[in-house]
Amino acid sequence: MTELSSPAGTIYDRGYRHYEGPREGRGRRVRAIAVAGVRRVLGLKRNWKTKVVPFGLLVLAFGPVFAFIGARVLVGEAVGEFLGYGRYLRVVAALLLLFAATAGPELLCPDRRQNVLALIFTRPVTRSDYLLAKLAALLAVVGLIALVPLVVLFVGNTLTADSAATYLRQNLDDLGRILIAGSVLTVFYSVVALAAASLTDRRAVATAGLLGVFLGTTALANILFFTASFEGRRWVAFLSLAGLPGRFVDWLFGVPYDPGTLADQAGFTGPAYLVATGVVTAAAAAVLIWRVLRLRA
Amino acid sequence: MLVAEVEGLSKRYGTVQALDRVDVAIEPGCTGLVGSNGAGKSTLIKLLLGLLVPDQGRASVLGHDVATDPLAVRGRVGYLPEGACLPGDVTAADFVAFMAQLGGLPPRPARERAAEVCYQVGLDEERYRAVGGFSTGMQQRVKLAVALVHDPAFLLLDEPTDGMDPQGREDMLDLIARIRGELGIDVLVSTHLLGDVERVCDRVVMVHGGHVLAQGSIAEIAGTTEPGFGIRLGDNGPEVLAALRAAGLEARPSGEELLVQGPSDLIRDVAAQRGWPLRRLVPRAPSLEETFLRLQAAQGGSPVPVARQPDTPEAAWGVRR
Repeated sequence: MTELSSPAGTIYDRGYRHYEGPREGRGRRVRAIAVAGVRRVLGLKRNWKTKVVPFGLLVLAFGPVFAFIGARVLVGEAVGEFLGYGRYLRVVAALLLLFAATAGPELLCPDRRQNVLALIFTRPVTRSDYLLAKLAALLAVVGLIALVPLVVLFVGNTLTADSAATYLRQNLDDLGRILIAGSVLTVFYSVVALAAASLTDRRAVATAGLLGVFLGTTALANILFFTASFEGRRWVAFLSLAGLPGRFVDWLFGVPYDPGTLADQAGFTGPAYLVATGVVTAAAAAVLIWRVLRLRA
Repeated sequence: MLVAEVEGLSKRYGTVQALDRVDVAIEPGCTGLVGSNGAGKSTLIKLLLGLLVPDQGRASVLGHDVATDPLAVRGRVGYLPEGACLPGDVTAADFVAFMAQLGGLPPRPARERAAEVCYQVGLDEERYRAVGGFSTGMQQRVKLAVALVHDPAFLLLDEPTDGMDPQGREDMLDLIARIRGELGIDVLVSTHLLGDVERVCDRVVMVHGGHVLAQGSIAEIAGTTEPGFGIRLGDNGPEVLAALRAAGLEARPSGEELLVQGPSDLIRDVAAQRGWPLRRLVPRAPSLEETFLRLQAAQGGSPVPVARQPDTPEAAWGVRR
C-alpha cells in the first residue's frame, strides 16, 4: 500500500471574500454602460429574435459592398462602377433611419420601463455619465452602418484597381467626403432617435413615433409645396426631416437632385441643408439632455 | 464611528410631508428601519443614497456628506430597492457583472466576483438563466447579489422579503444575518414586518408619519432589558399561571405557550416545587409591535399596525436569535 506523500486535491473555500483588487473610475462605468448598450442593440447574449433586425440591416448595408468587391476581385475593373459613394449613402440613409428608430428606443426605454435605473443610479453613475454612454453606444452602432460599408467599399475599390496608388491619388477626396457624410448621418440619426426614445418608456411607441414624424413631415412638405401657393413656399423643404441630411450628402458628392422633386425645385444647396440638419440635431439634443437629466431612480 | 447620521432632515412631496426634521444615528451592526407603509422609510433611504434632495437638514454616510459627495457614498453602499427593477432578458450573471463594473471593478474581476456572489446568495446554475423567468424569491436574491457584488461597507435593504413565500423569507433573513455576522457588513433593513427585524437586527429605528418614534437597541426600545421566556409547564392551565404569578413572575398566555418575564431560576423552582414537567423554556424578546403601537398612540395619531410575519405561533412576541 502506497502512502500519500502529498494531498490528492485541493479544497477551495468558496466563502464570501472582500474585493481587494483595483477599482476603476468614471471611464470604466461609462464604458460598461456603453458596451452593454451595444450588446443590447445588436441582440448579443440575447435570444435570436432580438438579432433579426440589427443583423438583417447590417447584411443589407454590407452585403452589396462585399458582393461588389468580390466581383471586382474575380473579374477586375470590367465589373464597372458601383452605385457611387453618394448614391449608396442614399440607400444607407434609409437603413439608418430604420436602424436608429429601433436601436434608440432599445437603449433607453427598457431601463425606465423595467425600473433598472433604480439600480444604475445607486452606483456612482451620474445622469450625464448615463447619457454619454448611451449616446456613445448608439453612435458606435449607427456609425457601423453609416461609415464602415463606405470605407470598406473605398478600400476595396483601391485594392482592386489596376493601380491602387493612382486610384487613391485620384479619389482621396471621396474618402474625406465619406467620413464627413457618414459622421453627419450618424450624429443626426443617433441624437434624434435617442431624443424620441427619451419621451416614452415604450419601445414600440418611440419607434412608431419617430418613423411617423419622419415620413409624415416628408409627406407634409411635399403636399404643401406641390399643392399650395404662398409666399416663401420653398422653405417647406426644411420641414422634411428625412430629407435634410440626405440632400446635404447628395450635394457633398455632387449627386444632382432628382428632377421635379421638392429638393430640385426648392433651390437650396447643401450647406443650407447642413445648417438645418444641425438645428434639428441641436433641438433633439436639448430634448434628450432635458429628459435624461431629469430621470428619477 | 456612526455608519450613517441624519440631522434635521425634511422632505416634502407636494402636500405630503414625508419626513419632518428627522434625526437618526445608525450604528455599526444590523439596524431595522420599521414603520407602516408611507411612514417615510423609503424616502429616508433614498435621501441617504443622495437620490433625493432634502428640503432641509443634512445626512452623512460612512463619513461622506450625502449632499456634497453623493458619488463617494454610492461607491461604498449597496442598495436593494423595493419592487421590480431587473431587466427581464438578461442573465443574472451578466447583470450582476454589469453592476459590478458600475461599482468600479474591471470586467474580468467583475465577472468572477459576480459568479462568487451569485453562489453566495443561492443562485448557482440559475445565474445563467434570464432574470425574467425567475420567481420573486430568486429575483430578490439577484437584487441582493447586485447590492453585494462591488463589496460595499454598508447595505441598504428596502423590504428585502417583500412578496416572498415563508421559506424564501427564512432564506433571505438567514442571508442577511450572515452578511452581518460573517461578512461584517453593516446593514440597514427597511421593512414593515416586525418579525423580520426581531429576527436579524440588533437595533431599530421606528418611523411613523415622517417622524422618528424611537431608536436604539431592540431591548431598550421594548422598554426592558430583562429576558423573557416562552414556556410549556404542565398543562399551562390557570393553576400554572397562578403559581408563576405567586412566585413573582409576570406571566400571560400566548398561543400554545406562556410568556414569562423574570429569571429562569424562578420558573425552574416553581416547576420543581409543584412537580410539573417543564417541556419548553425558550428565550423570548419583548414585543416590538406593542411598543410601536404604544409610541404611535402617544404621538397622537391613531395606531397603524405594522405587519407581523404570517403563520407564526408567537404572534405578539418575536424570537431573538
